[in-house]
Amino acid sequence: MIVIDKNKLTDLLDALNQSYQVIVPAKSADLTQFMPYDAVKEKNAEIILNENTVLSPKWLFLPQSEGMYAFWAKNKKLEIVDLPSDLEKMRIVFPVRHCDVQGIACLDKVFLDERHVDGQYLEKREKTVVMALMCNNPKDSCFCASMGVDRAHANNTVADVQVYDLGSEYAFEALSDKGQQAVEAIKALGSEKTVAVPEVKEQKIKVNIEGLPEKLSGMFYDSIWDSFMFKCIGCGTCAFICPTCYCFDINNKIRGEEGVKLRTWDSCMFDEYMLMAGGHNPRPGKKERVRNRFLHKLEYFYENYQMMLCTGCGRCLRKCPMNVDIVKFINQANAK
Amino acid sequence: MNPIAQEMQNIAKELLTSGEVTAVIGWEKGTFWYQSTPVMITSAEEADKLIWDEFCQPNLSKYLLDYRLNEGKVAIFVKGCDARAFNRLLQDNQIERQKAYLIGIPCPGMKDHKQAALVEESAKDSVPLAKVCQSCRYPNPVVYDRLIGSEVTPRATEPDFSDVMALEAMTPDERYAFWQEQHTKCIRCYACRNACPACNCRNCIFSDSKSGWISKDVNTSENQFYAITRATHVAGRCVECGQCEMVCPSNIPIMLMNKKYIKDINDLFGKYDAGIDIDTPTPLGHYKLDDPEEFM
Repeated sequence: MIVIDKNKLTDLLDALNQSYQVIVPAKSADLTQFMPYDAVKEKNAEIILNENTVLSPKWLFLPQSEGMYAFWAKNKKLEIVDLPSDLEKMRIVFPVRHCDVQGIACLDKVFLDERHVDGQYLEKREKTVVMALMCNNPKDSCFCASMGVDRAHANNTVADVQVYDLGSEYAFEALSDKGQQAVEAIKALGSEKTVAVPEVKEQKIKVNIEGLPEKLSGMFYDSIWDSFMFKCIGCGTCAFICPTCYCFDINNKIRGEEGVKLRTWDSCMFDEYMLMAGGHNPRPGKKERVRNRFLHKLEYFYENYQMMLCTGCGRCLRKCPMNVDIVKFINQANAK
Repeated sequence: MNPIAQEMQNIAKELLTSGEVTAVIGWEKGTFWYQSTPVMITSAEEADKLIWDEFCQPNLSKYLLDYRLNEGKVAIFVKGCDARAFNRLLQDNQIERQKAYLIGIPCPGMKDHKQAALVEESAKDSVPLAKVCQSCRYPNPVVYDRLIGSEVTPRATEPDFSDVMALEAMTPDERYAFWQEQHTKCIRCYACRNACPACNCRNCIFSDSKSGWISKDVNTSENQFYAITRATHVAGRCVECGQCEMVCPSNIPIMLMNKKYIKDINDLFGKYDAGIDIDTPTPLGHYKLDDPEEFM
């Protein structure tokens, strides 16, 4: 593995930034999120390495708003135009914690499903090098280990480079060809060493998901939803900060004779989400919406793809305005 | 146990056992030490969930909207700002007074839970009060059926507009740049709207994309349109509970815009505090012959 001193972080990012567009977690205007390194330098933002960002790196592959194509309607003729790709350069994102790497693996299941590969998503995935960071200092809201995330080794269907935090140094191990190229670009900053995988501190939150999807499949009409829905205020915070929530809406943005077909994030907590033509809403209230959110994460997705749609990143535990707590939900469901 | 929490539990038990109310809405302890979250209990056995601490900032009054069609009474605990929020909903004809049983709690001010989230519990004492609480003028409930404890002295007698004045002192370009940066961060989760007791429209234009007022495209321009429309719509009705800012995941200083409107309304139409009573018409909800009309 290539071992580089943490003091050389700026050199490392600058070296990568020569051939890639580097994306880093940073804090700007009191919000932590993944930002282009160029913007970080321009805004003098602080790079955040010791905690999960409030906004997940999901937008790198599934932007909150994304044009699909443009169209013109002139003189009774309709013209459809492809939009240019917004990725000129290869991107590299460093560092991504294992929970968020797992989040990308969840998105892959949906958007790279062999029955329908989503071209725009695929392009972003192919043009991005993911450098996964094993974090050995979990926060009190972290429970990725319980959700089946390997804390020592990131999901290697997504991670191109595995990074280990050795305290004062980072160790880089390439996991793919893309990753190998990226490691080559920073090799000169460090030295080749054999490194043992560091110990990880145990996470405070532990939750048992053994047999949970099967159990929940019989709980659609359970009274648990009546008590669990109360707190929810129906905002989209949980879905929008979540690394795995992938629901989107497709809509037109039309100005005069031209328009853009847009794909935008949507949240199943919104009242408009399930609204049908004619005004019928099959999920009319918060009970139905909260139930859908939890069952999608913990039952339906597992039934389709044999993995949970929750990676234990803990963002919703911290940021849900009213503290609708998925861990508490799992514990209560288990106790039923 | 905290004597106020003890009394809350006793009252909840009493009301539920006698059948005077069908449910009690209060606060319970959340996942982390800096979270206290709304809870609804429907039986006396659950009363021991109720707590009272320095993180009970969630405003409970808006939950009454979920039960407005229910038969029977719901009891809720109200701090000063929850009580003003209750009046807000009454004045907006959203709820009926006789369907709620209000248990007032004079509020010593709540701590800033976002600041608290950054430190360990051992440093709890160093966590400052939430910004709106620091200059709170109405810590005592302005409406209640029963009061727990005794009234407290307000922290301020006059509204604190120092941050608004700092904003006004900026050049237009600086101010524009400031709000641009803030609204670029907006993820349009609508938590600010949904937590706000003044945002009680049955159909919000922001939940109706086919209306054409705004698209679902999230960009600075449309985010600003949302932010300005929201603030304008609650202007003259904002009860200064600060929920909008507290729930914002992107840390946008939403109360700053609300306070700018409050200051302007005070200057143009005379001093007005929303939600203090339900008889004084809202300044933008009626007209007087001597209203300023410089633009006409």
